[in-house]
This record gives sequence, structure tokens and C-alpha cells, in this order.
Amino acid sequence: MSIPSVLSLGFVLLCLVSLAVGVKPMAWHALLSLSGDAWTTLTASRLPRLAAVVLTGVGLPMCGVILQQIVRNRFVEPATSGGLDAARLGLLVSLILAPAMGTLGRMLFALVFCLAACALYLAIVRRIHFRNTVMVPVIGLMYGSVLSAIAEFYAYRHNILQSMQGWLLGDFSKIVEGNYEILYLTLPIILVTYLYAHRFTVLGMGEDMATSLGVSYAVTAGLGLLLVSVTVAVTVITVGTIPFVGLVIPNLVVLYYGEHLRHTLPIVALAGACLLLVCDLISRLLIYPFEIPIGLTAGSVGGVLFLLLILRRNR
Amino acid sequence: MISVHNLSKRYGGRTVLADVSTRFPARQVTSLIGPNGAGKTTLLMMLARLLSPDQGEILLAEQPVHDIRLADYARRVATLRQSPGINLRLTVEELVGFGRFPYSRGTLTETDRHAVADAIEFLSLTPLRQAYIDELSGGQRQMAFLAMTIAQQTDCLLLDEPLNNLDMKHAVQIMRALRRLCDEQGRTVVLVIHDINFAANYSDRIVALKQGRLHFSGPVADTVTEARLQDLYDLDFDIVRSERGRLCNYFNPQGDWS
Amino acid sequence: MRRPLMLSSWVAVLVLAVVFVLLNSGLDTDYIIPKRLLRLAAMGLGGVCIAFSAIVFQSIAGNRILTPAIMGYESVYLLFQALLVWLLGTSSLMLMGQNGNFFASVLLMLAYSWVIHRWLFRDGRSNVYFLLLLGLVLTMVISTLTQFIQVTVSPGEFAVLQGYNEASFNRVRPGQLGYAAVLVLLVAGVMLRSRALLDVIALGREQALSLGVDYPRCVRQQLFLVAVLVAISASLVGPTAFMGIFVANLAYALAGTTRHRATLPMASAVAVGLFILAQLLVEQVLNYRTTVTILINLICGGYFLALMIRTRGRA
Repeated sequence: MSIPSVLSLGFVLLCLVSLAVGVKPMAWHALLSLSGDAWTTLTASRLPRLAAVVLTGVGLPMCGVILQQIVRNRFVEPATSGGLDAARLGLLVSLILAPAMGTLGRMLFALVFCLAACALYLAIVRRIHFRNTVMVPVIGLMYGSVLSAIAEFYAYRHNILQSMQGWLLGDFSKIVEGNYEILYLTLPIILVTYLYAHRFTVLGMGEDMATSLGVSYAVTAGLGLLLVSVTVAVTVITVGTIPFVGLVIPNLVVLYYGEHLRHTLPIVALAGACLLLVCDLISRLLIYPFEIPIGLTAGSVGGVLFLLLILRRNR
Repeated sequence: MISVHNLSKRYGGRTVLADVSTRFPARQVTSLIGPNGAGKTTLLMMLARLLSPDQGEILLAEQPVHDIRLADYARRVATLRQSPGINLRLTVEELVGFGRFPYSRGTLTETDRHAVADAIEFLSLTPLRQAYIDELSGGQRQMAFLAMTIAQQTDCLLLDEPLNNLDMKHAVQIMRALRRLCDEQGRTVVLVIHDINFAANYSDRIVALKQGRLHFSGPVADTVTEARLQDLYDLDFDIVRSERGRLCNYFNPQGDWS
Repeated sequence: MRRPLMLSSWVAVLVLAVVFVLLNSGLDTDYIIPKRLLRLAAMGLGGVCIAFSAIVFQSIAGNRILTPAIMGYESVYLLFQALLVWLLGTSSLMLMGQNGNFFASVLLMLAYSWVIHRWLFRDGRSNVYFLLLLGLVLTMVISTLTQFIQVTVSPGEFAVLQGYNEASFNRVRPGQLGYAAVLVLLVAGVMLRSRALLDVIALGREQALSLGVDYPRCVRQQLFLVAVLVAISASLVGPTAFMGIFVANLAYALAGTTRHRATLPMASAVAVGLFILAQLLVEQVLNYRTTVTILINLICGGYFLALMIRTRGRA
């Protein structure tokens, strides 16, 4: 059986398992009545959670893919380009300046900060002459830590350092009906990414090549950064940060399917969703009935996968 | 004299050097030539002890090199790799001073200073003595690194593509310097070189490798011939001989050479 | 070497030190001045540690925008502290005692360094960039874990943890300072003695080998010494992330050469001066409204970004 069909099958199975697992045992036969307790559990908690996990699982690797094409480096993702730290800073600023602001307003703050930070990062990286590709994400991490320092400076003065650490950690346990819907914004993003896949592939060949093929570097890169920023902002607001997913999945897919995005993006999406579903299940089952934040499980699983990837490359 | 016996090296599953035996006579300039991936640099790196062979033996004056302490080896064999991308802020004089490290471990004595001055003088770098190497042109920097290798005052010099990225004038300067080192100071020079014309005009001996194996070796007069070069490079050669040396023309192949 | 500049830098540091000890002290020789002298000593030792480790590490790596802090050392230290508080609660402070914690941290860092290098040098060749990538991944995984622990613990315990997260000179004890001083003097002495060797190592593996230096052995030794220094500075003053980059680069610029006999002392002057300056600002001007770490991160991060943007740097 081919890998895509295994992935699709796995995805469906994982979705079902994800719906079945929970603190409150599901009475499946009760669902048939289309009402009652079981139905409420399903629609108010299980389905929103499943949707959130899948949307994030598809969105984050997309961000990774786009950024990797724009920056032309395999090790770039929102966490290694200052994007996450900037979104967090934006969230903090919105909380301090306008505590009463709604989710949409906060998301806009996070979005603007993330976009500006990514654009600046791109500008910096394009000016530097790199001797080794590893330096690109290193610069990104340093840049991110500068942004974090600014955020901490703020947070320390307003005494919210510990709760700010909390936003750093992705967590699906608080997802219920009514507070996650903004995540659906990733759907159009995914669609646009797919439609523009060809341009991003061309972008990955460099500015000169892209221009000679009639693709405007500035416009396409700008669009890409916007797509990334929206996804990152939405995820940070609803779930928190989840490292490595945007890094591992694209790198794994490239290994087997190459870099023609039109062909690989569906696989990237499917694989991302599966990985996050698995991590989410681990989070929920490991210390059942309590939960480990997804940021931790995805960080560990993704980290180990990434280490294996590097080791493979190094041989 | 350096001689190598049955040298082999594999990377992963790929054989880069297979059963190579040859010799590099003292007081001669020997050029290692061959197409890309023939194993030239690998062989040179083994002579320099920057790589160790999987099989085989290297003898320096009949003594196995792995019996020689690294610090002692540095007084007998000096190596210059392709001008390293160092962006250190050092003056030419300081850089050349490093060539004396095997002798003085860092604190220069009067003898060391003389050796440094001689090496700089030998390559006519005296006007650039106080210039910083990160501000020099590529050719000048290569000369400065060569001066450092010369200051090491070893019997034997190993150079890996010393002409890479140099313009014609600097290339001729470097090759003339190597020739003089051999003729005037009796040093042994081994270099990896791509330009067959420089190899033919400045060296005494040619060692040709192809696909990790020794293809042929011998004095220039015997080896730089149409038949052998055609066989080595799979190119059509026309060699013009005159009082000023040999000129190997491979630019306009005749017949069916693709 | 520019001797007058070296001299004036150290004079400036001395002046700063005197100002730090005496300003607004009321010449209280019973409490304020001894306390400040203690902090001053910690800053001196920490500064030397950071300066020496950064310079030597950069010479080995052949790269001017790396510090040992990025290679995962500091995150291991932070994780250790977080685990202690998590598992043992605040009583861990009493249980281990200040010296116990200090020595445990130093040993842990050495073990970490040993494991990494043993693994790296198994085929006799070092690959600093691979080490860097590894450190990066470890940093991300470990900091996720640390964040998780930080969010889980009570606010009281969080305050203790935050204490470890911050560079601070207030927690040093005289006994610990004594041990640290002996170790630092020893290591710095060895490094200074091998300054000529370090100059050769900076030329790169091949050039060093060709000059008769047993490169793998020397690098291993020097990295071991670097690990000791990083361990001391982490447990003495806390994590300093990118301060090493700032210190080293400023030292190269001021010294006008890359020879270690000039850069090592110059970098020490810069590091100690920066520490005193930051502490002075926090104590006297900002009235503890921010912390030394945040201030230093802001200064060094800003400098780093400016450096990258202005000079079209090489990395």
C-alpha cells in the first residue's frame, strides 16, 4: 500500500479514536437519539477538539513549507524565525494596552507583530552571507530571543511573567465550543497556499530564477509571510505554541517526495494532521485522567524525530 | 622522498582510492593530475596526514609516517590547502609567523624572525608585511599563506590546488616560486593541479589518477603525450612543443569527442 | 595590540567598580559595602567565565556569532533546576545546600559536554555545525519541558525557578564564590598559557594539523575547559544567552587583532564592565523595575541585530 493511502487510512482511524477518548465515557448508542448528554459532549468538546487538532496539524507544517521556500533553508519554521516570539509579544501588548479587547482584536495584534517580525527576519537573512545553512535558524533563534527579551521586559513590569510562560505551551485541553472557531481561518489559508503552491516552489529556486520565470519575488514572498502570520497568530491565540511540527513534517516529506509543492502539499497536510493527532492522544492518555500539554508531547516527539533526521543526514 | 604503497580509502560504500602505489622523489616538483573525483586531493590529504588510509602505507624517507610524531612531522612536511575562508584579523607577518609554530610553539626567537623575513622576502611580499590578510586580494592572500608554509622550512611541501581562483599573473607567480623553492633550496614539492599546461611546464614528474586508481606516472617528457592525456581525460589533445615549453591544446577537439 | 586601549578599558572597569561599591552606600562598612563587594566578585568571576568561554569557543568553531550558551548548556542547567524544584519542592534548596547545587550543576555540565563530544568525535572528526544543530534541538525540547514544569509549579516555587532563570548576583554565597574563584583562576590560567596554541587552532583543523598540532585532542581539552566555565557562570550568575557574542565581538573590534593574548583580557574587561553597568542601572536608576538578564539581553540582542543589519555580516 502506498504511503498516501496509509496516511489517509491512519488519519480516519485517528480521528475516530480521538473522538472516543476522553474523561467522560462516551455512550455511543446514546448518540443515535441525537440529543442528550453524550451528544453535548460530542459537539461541545470532542468535535471542537478534533477540529482544532486537525486544523493546527495542517496549518503549522504549511507555515514551515512556505517559510522554508521563502528563506530557502530547511531548518526554518515560525519558531526559528522569530515569528512565534513576535506573535507572543503582540498578544502581550494587546493585553496590556486594551485588556477588554476581543479575540479578533488580539489576533490582529499578534498577526501584525508576527508579519513585521518575519519580514524583518527575511530582510536580515537575505543580507548575510552564510557559510553554513545551520546558521540561518540560529540567527532566527537569536532574533527570537531579542523579541522575547522585550516581551519579558514588559511582562516583568506588569507582573504576568508566569502566565506568559503559560501561553508558550500549546494546550488543547481548554478547547470547547465557542472559543476555538477563529482557527477555521486556517482553512482559506490552506486553500490559498495550495493554489499558490507552484509560485512558492519557484520562489525556492531563488530571487533571480523566480524573476526570470516571471514570478515577482516581493509579491509572492509578501503573500507567503501573510499566510504564515495569520496561521501563527490564530494558533498562538487559541492553542499556544507547538514546536517542531512545522520543521519535521516538511523535512520528512521532502525526503521521500521531493519539493514540488503542488504534489507534496496534500501529503504534508495529511502527515501533519496525523502527527498532531498522535501527539494529542499521547497527551490525553499518558497520565489519564489528567493531561499533558500538547506543546510538550509534540515538542518531545518532534524533537526526537528531528534528531533522527539530522543524524540520518549526517551519515 | 615520499613513497606510497597500496593505498586505499573508502567513504561509506564508495571507493575513492584503490591500491595506489607511487613515489614522489626528493628535490622534484610532482604534479597530481586527473579528472574530477579521481582521488587526487584524497591522496594529498593522506600525505599530509589529514586523512588516514584504510589500507596501505606511506613512507617518508623509508620511515612509516604514522611512526612520526605529529609535531615532528610538521617540521618535515608542510601543507597548504585551498586558501581557507578564514576571516581572522592578522597581519601578513603574523600569519607567516604561524609557520614557525612547530619550532617555537608561539614565542618567536631570533631564528624564527629570520625565517619569517626570508619567506616574506622570497615571495616579494615585503611591502605587504603589515597589511591585514582579510583586506588582501585573493591572489595576495594565497601568496601570504604560501609564505607561511615556506616559513615552516620543511623539506617537503604539499599544496592542494594552489592556483584555484587566481588570475594568470598570480598563478604564474606562485608556480615560479614553487619551481625556485625546488631548484634553489632543494625542496620537494607535491601539488594537486587542474591546469595541465602549468603541470606540464613547471613540474618534473606527473602522477595521474583516474577513478581512484593510478593511471600512469613518470617524468614530464614521458607522460605529457597526446596518447596518454587523451586516455586520461577522454579529450582530444594536440601538444605543441617549442623552446618555451609544451602547450597542450584540448580546446578544439577534432572528430567525435563529446 | 593596542596597549593604551587595553589599559584604559581596565581603568574604566575599575572606576565602574568603585562607583558600584560606593554610590549611595553611606560608607556603611558593616552591611552594604561587604554585600556589594560580594556581588562585585561574582560579576568579576562571571564576566571572566563568559569572556573566556565565548572567545575560545568562537576560535574553535571559526565563527563569530556562536556562543557555548547556544549549544544546549544553559538549557540543561535550567532543566536541572526546574526538575529539582518540581520533584523536591522548595525544600530542595535546603536539601542540596548552595554548594551542593553548585557542584552538582558543574558536574552535570561536564557530563553533558562529555557525552556530546564523545559522540561527536567518534569518527575522529569534529563537526561544530552538527553540534550546533543538536544543541538547537535540545534547547527547544528542553525549554518546552522547563516551561511545562514552570507552569505546573505553584507561584512560590515559580519565583524560586525564575530566580535561576535570571542572571543575578544576589544569590551568591562566600563559600561558593571561593570554590568558583579557584576553578576560574585555574581554567583561565590554562587557557592563557595555551594562547599561542589557540591562535593556531583558530586557523582551522587542516592548517593546525599541518603545523603539527594534535587538533582533535586540543579541541577536546579546550571544549572541556569551556564546559567548566559555562557551568560556573550558569550557576554563579545564571543564564546569559547571547552575551558572549556581544562581548567577543566588541573585544575583537577594540583589540584590533584576533590573537588571544589580546582578545582574552579585552573580552574579560568588556564582560565585567557590562555586568557592573547593568547592575548599576538596575540598582540605582531603574530601582529594580527590571532585571539584569532582561537588560543585558536587550543590550546584547540590540547590538547583535544592528551588527547583522549594518555590516552585511558573514555567518
